[in-house]
Amino acid sequence: MPTTFFGWIAFLLEKYWLLFLSGAINTLLIAVVGTVCGFIIGLMVAIVRTITLRRGASRVKRFGLQAARGFLSAYIEIFRGTPMIVQAMVVYYGASQYLGINIPALTAAFLVVSVNTGAYMAEIVRGGILSIDKGQTEAAIAVGMSHWQRMTTVILPQAIRNILPSVANEFVVNIKDSSVLNVISVTEVFFQSKSAAGTYFRYFEVFFITAVIYFILTFTFTRLLRLLEKKLSGASSYTVYGSQSSYAAEIEVKKE
Amino acid sequence: MSEILNIQGLYKNFGDNQVITGIDLSIDKGQVVCVIGPSGSGKSTLLRCVNLLEMPDGGSILFHGQDILGIPPSSLHAKIGMVFQQFNLFNNLTALNNCVAGQMKVLKRSKADSVERAMFFLERVGMLPYRDALPAQLSGGQKQRVAIARALCMDPEVLLFDEPTSALDPEMVDEVLSVIRTLKDGGLTMVIVTHEMAFARDAADRVVFMDAGRVVEDGDPKALFTAPKNPRTQAFLARTLRG
Repeated sequence: MPTTFFGWIAFLLEKYWLLFLSGAINTLLIAVVGTVCGFIIGLMVAIVRTITLRRGASRVKRFGLQAARGFLSAYIEIFRGTPMIVQAMVVYYGASQYLGINIPALTAAFLVVSVNTGAYMAEIVRGGILSIDKGQTEAAIAVGMSHWQRMTTVILPQAIRNILPSVANEFVVNIKDSSVLNVISVTEVFFQSKSAAGTYFRYFEVFFITAVIYFILTFTFTRLLRLLEKKLSGASSYTVYGSQSSYAAEIEVKKE
Repeated sequence: MSEILNIQGLYKNFGDNQVITGIDLSIDKGQVVCVIGPSGSGKSTLLRCVNLLEMPDGGSILFHGQDILGIPPSSLHAKIGMVFQQFNLFNNLTALNNCVAGQMKVLKRSKADSVERAMFFLERVGMLPYRDALPAQLSGGQKQRVAIARALCMDPEVLLFDEPTSALDPEMVDEVLSVIRTLKDGGLTMVIVTHEMAFARDAADRVVFMDAGRVVEDGDPKALFTAPKNPRTQAFLARTLRG
């Protein structure tokens, strides 16, 4: 048996590298699937919640929209107002006890993280939509676009660019918070670490490794997302055409 | 000439603030109507009611004799175009795609047809060389010309201009006004809210003077500018034309 801290680290890594690796992969998988699905849910919810009916709209439409809005508000409030660890328990055991379905733990994890993230994303997207000048919507109405067309061609492309930092933040939160899914035996990196630590009762050394793994994951992905942001915010320089003094001027502008 | 727009007893208030207090106005096909008047007299709101960016609180607006509330929004907006004071070009799209998007989405034209038509109108407003520029790269006057091309691409029967030159530097005003003049030669029906009195006098078939939410005087531009009948019009014109 090793006697020093580094000795233990080396020993545990050698013995359990596969466990750590598979845990890290599952953690990343849950974070990616949860964030992407959550983002799509958030977009859809925000699109529905920003529908406005004109005054002549029929009673059926009015009622339908009210009902949808009520449902979505309840969804957002409930999932933002309860811990994900509890949601995981309720979904996983609820499904097996009352619906008789044994969902695989990883599937349950995807579901819980997606739906949970969706509730936060819905608010983030709504904020992004509100940040876009009202004139953009009016101009889109004035060429005859429907709510869906306005959102997908004009508003959301601009809004998404503005909210990208918040979306990236959600992704990082998901990498870390997926650790709570160990309560339903999802084999993500925290669960794997617990198994590894239990054999030799080396909790400190194992979770030191776990902390490093989490940090590497979050740090790498924040950098990658920062790059993506830069790319989406356009070229580093652009040309302005025409000036007050010269009609045909072309002025090269460099962004900071 | 046949009537294209008929506004009857229009009312609009924002809360307790009565912005339009009973307007009757009939506009014929091919007419160019300039709406003038002091700020806050309801000119812009009148236009915004005509294409339902604002819901009227009373009265009716008929387009070819049909209540606009009964026309499906997409076809109403395609037939009644709008040009805004703040241009409102779609910031995420190039000049060309600003003109293409509406045609493809709303009129369901093919991409090739939409592009061809967009190029035609961009050429007409002198913006074809800038078709790949994003709105942020264009000057105010250029943006407004693209906005006009965007509206024209939808083949509108009526084009509404909400103070199209008010946000522009003096030098850019002329480039936009001259574009509007060429449209008049093409026979398009236009309703133009403007503070450009010289333009209203020269280019309009008819000038409507509004004050405090109603039409005070309505008539031939030469007559209205040289010999206004209403004292309110006289006072307004005296002040504006002197300045």
